[in-house]
Amino acid sequence: MAKTANRFFMLLIGSLTVLAILSLAFVIWFVAKEALPLFREVSPAAFFLGTRWMPVDFGNGMSFGIFNFIMGTLAVSLTGMILALLVGLGASLYLSCAATQRVRTLLYPVIDLLAGIPSVVYGFVGLMVLKPVFIRAGVKTGLCVLAAGIVLAVMLLPYLISASSETMLKARARCLPPAMALGISRWDAAAGIVLPASARNILMSAGLAVGRAMGETMAVMMVMGNANLFPKLLGKGESIAALIALEMGTAVADSTHYHALYAAGFALMILLFVINLGISALRSRLLRRGGI
Amino acid sequence: MRIRGLLARIWAGLSILLVLAVILFLFVFIFLRGGSVITWDFLSQPPSGAVLGEEGGILPAITGSLAFTLTATVLGGLPAIATALYLVFFCKSRRLGSLIHTILQCISGIPSIVLGLFAYSFFVRDLNWGRCVLSASMALAIMILPFIEIHAEKAFREIPRGFVESSQALGCAPYYTVFHVVLPSCRGELISGILLGACYAMGATAPMIFTGAVAFATSPKSLMQPAMALPLHLYLLIAQGTTSLDRAYGTAFVMMALILVSNLLVMIYTERSHRRWIQR
Repeated sequence: MAKTANRFFMLLIGSLTVLAILSLAFVIWFVAKEALPLFREVSPAAFFLGTRWMPVDFGNGMSFGIFNFIMGTLAVSLTGMILALLVGLGASLYLSCAATQRVRTLLYPVIDLLAGIPSVVYGFVGLMVLKPVFIRAGVKTGLCVLAAGIVLAVMLLPYLISASSETMLKARARCLPPAMALGISRWDAAAGIVLPASARNILMSAGLAVGRAMGETMAVMMVMGNANLFPKLLGKGESIAALIALEMGTAVADSTHYHALYAAGFALMILLFVINLGISALRSRLLRRGGI
Repeated sequence: MRIRGLLARIWAGLSILLVLAVILFLFVFIFLRGGSVITWDFLSQPPSGAVLGEEGGILPAITGSLAFTLTATVLGGLPAIATALYLVFFCKSRRLGSLIHTILQCISGIPSIVLGLFAYSFFVRDLNWGRCVLSASMALAIMILPFIEIHAEKAFREIPRGFVESSQALGCAPYYTVFHVVLPSCRGELISGILLGACYAMGATAPMIFTGAVAFATSPKSLMQPAMALPLHLYLLIAQGTTSLDRAYGTAFVMMALILVSNLLVMIYTERSHRRWIQR
């Protein structure tokens, strides 16, 4: 009896694992399959470097260039990341070097609340709060890359803080007591020893967060203005994710437009994959060198 | 204290204050503006009137969101936990383990909108399921699978190795070890991981725009029909513009309240069941 149950259980675990992994691999394969037909009609150079996006023929022919969208994605992710780092690192420094254990156990779940808020709500609050501010500041519609970057920064904070404060806690446990025994004050040690010691690991968690930022759809789409322009900090821009969300509903199945949207999604996946690959290569190199 | 330390102190203090202020602001803003919209009718009536959000309530959106979330959590959570169990306790080949990790990482990097695209082409069109709760839930399930797996794997790895080895040394079968040693000792973390995954699925809009969420529908009675969902409802209200913005605050209120309550429950539960092996 127990033997049958055990065999059944092992079979269940095994088949569920296989199912999970196969279906995940299938998604990757499927997106690639739907993306590749585009390159029979549009050259990769025209697709990646072109700046004209005209998916429906109005007499001037169709063109599919996603250069501005790629740049828009990068611009908004970078803006969001820099802002999030600015605040997130300070907050992690406080959590790791100044807060007591009790304060930490209280604050972590509160900060994690940010991760639970739906992205439409972020977009909504961004529209209601940031848009008027930017209009008053002289941006015509109030929708711009910087506004989207600010919204994105808030969304990235919980991931960044939990990852970097974990690293800093380890560095603090190792570095702070000896430093304080040498008569260095707590904050001098925090700024001069703990922060540099955890810099490399923070870089890696920042890289992972950039991935999250680039895939973010709704919030960015609602605040960024969505115009096919080269992104400027106070100008409109459009991200790849927003492009797909906005146009998928109107694309005819199996048309060039449809394949182009898949190709844009695939390009985004590749971009993320390259970043992830770079990070894990960096990590294994650091591990071999005996970093933290 | 030198100047650098002082600057660091100011920076750290300001940052944590800013973070907490932003969190407080988000909840207070939505709760204050949305509070006046929330009435029993708003929560218990289906929408009526010609324009979405003009009259009636959001009952079908609430039940629809619950249907999406529940289906997605079951579909994504079970394989996720099985995968985590396999990776931590049964996987003997290091190469296979790292291959599985790579695939999980790739999927967790896929933007949710691309998952929506995939689900639209594959489930809605190729398999001809149509736009329905199941199609969208599959997309959501794929989205939260790596999320839950990472949480579960972390929880499993934190169990002292001695626990599992003692159980094995006593001759317990793997399924007995899993159900009587592994799962009970990290129940809190596991449940919190699943619930956070569920919140993630509930708030996601992008994967279900094309796959199963619609503007008007009754409460879903089967998995094969489309349904309304809270995040899409909010998005549509905002897209319509000024006339429906009051109602938008109401929908946002409901979502924020759900997030807050479920996070509080998780917090209390994990606090009580945290690391039982340390206390006993």
